[in-house]
Amino acid sequence: MTLELALLLLAWGTLVGLDLVSVPQVMIARPIVAGPIAGAILGDLGTGLQLGVLFELFQYDVLPVGATRYPEYGPATVAAVSAAHAAAGTLGIGLGALVGLVTGMAGGASIHVVRRLNARAVRAASERLEAGDPRALVRVHVTGILRDAVRAALVTALGLGLAQLTGDVFAGALTVRGLTLLHLAAAGAAVAAGVAGTLRLVGRGPNLRWFVAGVLGGTAVAWLR
Amino acid sequence: MTGSPPARRRPALGRSLLRLFTVQGSYNYERMQGIGVGVAEEPLLRDLGAGNGGSGGEAAYRAAVARGAHFFNAHPYLCGLVVGAAARAEHEGVPPAQVERLRAALCGPLGSLGDRLVWAGWLPFTSGLALIGVALGLDLWAVVGFLALYNVGHVTLRWWALAAGWAHGARVAAALHQPVLQRAARLSGPAMACAVGAALPLAATYLSGPFAGWSRTAFAAAAAGGVALLWWRRGKLTGLRFGLALLAVAALVGWAWR
Repeated sequence: MTLELALLLLAWGTLVGLDLVSVPQVMIARPIVAGPIAGAILGDLGTGLQLGVLFELFQYDVLPVGATRYPEYGPATVAAVSAAHAAAGTLGIGLGALVGLVTGMAGGASIHVVRRLNARAVRAASERLEAGDPRALVRVHVTGILRDAVRAALVTALGLGLAQLTGDVFAGALTVRGLTLLHLAAAGAAVAAGVAGTLRLVGRGPNLRWFVAGVLGGTAVAWLR
Repeated sequence: MTGSPPARRRPALGRSLLRLFTVQGSYNYERMQGIGVGVAEEPLLRDLGAGNGGSGGEAAYRAAVARGAHFFNAHPYLCGLVVGAAARAEHEGVPPAQVERLRAALCGPLGSLGDRLVWAGWLPFTSGLALIGVALGLDLWAVVGFLALYNVGHVTLRWWALAAGWAHGARVAAALHQPVLQRAARLSGPAMACAVGAALPLAATYLSGPFAGWSRTAFAAAAAGGVALLWWRRGKLTGLRFGLALLAVAALVGWAWR
């Protein structure tokens, strides 16, 4: 990968990471968006779409309510696409998923750290905040956004670094059969996470009937195709 | 109380709306979204003191800004409701303690309504449609369609919340009982369940496209076993941990099985 492409992916991953919580929450942080755009940047839309769908299913396992801690799959998907692209597209989907899941875990932990740093900044400025100083208020807020941007950039850089490392270490050590095993494990886990997460969301109430109707309809369309 | 605020203040709603897109920028475990809500409310408070004139006006403005940045936690798209309502209440001279009570009272309902309407409704519904689109071969168009459709709802909700908060002030609870909102909350669950339900088999078929023979069977077994395990260990085992464990096993088997 050229330095230009790496920087473009870093910039995209940073925007995606910022979008998750801070600004503007237009859902470019969703893997179904982050993955295909990363793929398009690398000229490998197919891999971006595959990993976008895969991590979108993992995303169904996450309900971001209140101050809960959850993995961050946006920059993770960008890193995953980079890893898969380096390991020859479809054959590298499993490696990409591995990189993405580790990056997602790191991303989730980093959000927690930033929230603690933000709390410390609020405490430090509490006197001026209680005095109603609008400049102090805006400064604390803007610094928080910048902190999150740095966090997102670091998580993306970590993911891209992991992608490079995984390509060097794993790709030579696994045969095509081994890479296929990784791929099917990743896809199987994603579908399992998606189904389990959706069932938790749907619950046992009246929505379950709509869910079953949807599954039957989707299965029929898949079978007809 | 001074009655309706002057019409010239209305344009500040635009600036406030823009700031609301950053409402969680300084999210923290002490005031949660409080700082972001205060930043979004500040443009609506600027002429609070100007009408009264002198240092008394400035003091009223600063006190309101300080109150605006206190603890608040709700769904980010609905924070506009408290921003508009609290700002309007400050303009109407509602006592500070009552403004604080208004903010505290809105946390729970706005959080619960937003989670049901957006995180458990509109977002998975539109995401499910995107998955269906990709699986049916729409590729990037499915992604563009998702962003466009999702954000029509997203921006509309943010604008409605701010405008309704400003229009109702301290009596903002009435806005939450609007028939459109109630109907949307009622429909979002079934729509989400149906769309994601349809997306799951299509996405599974899409992801299993490159597999044939034994690998297709192994994929189905991994998915079915995973659902059973995640359901049985719900609350303890997450999709992320299950995925990492399965990938670690697959890497070991792949390395050994040459």
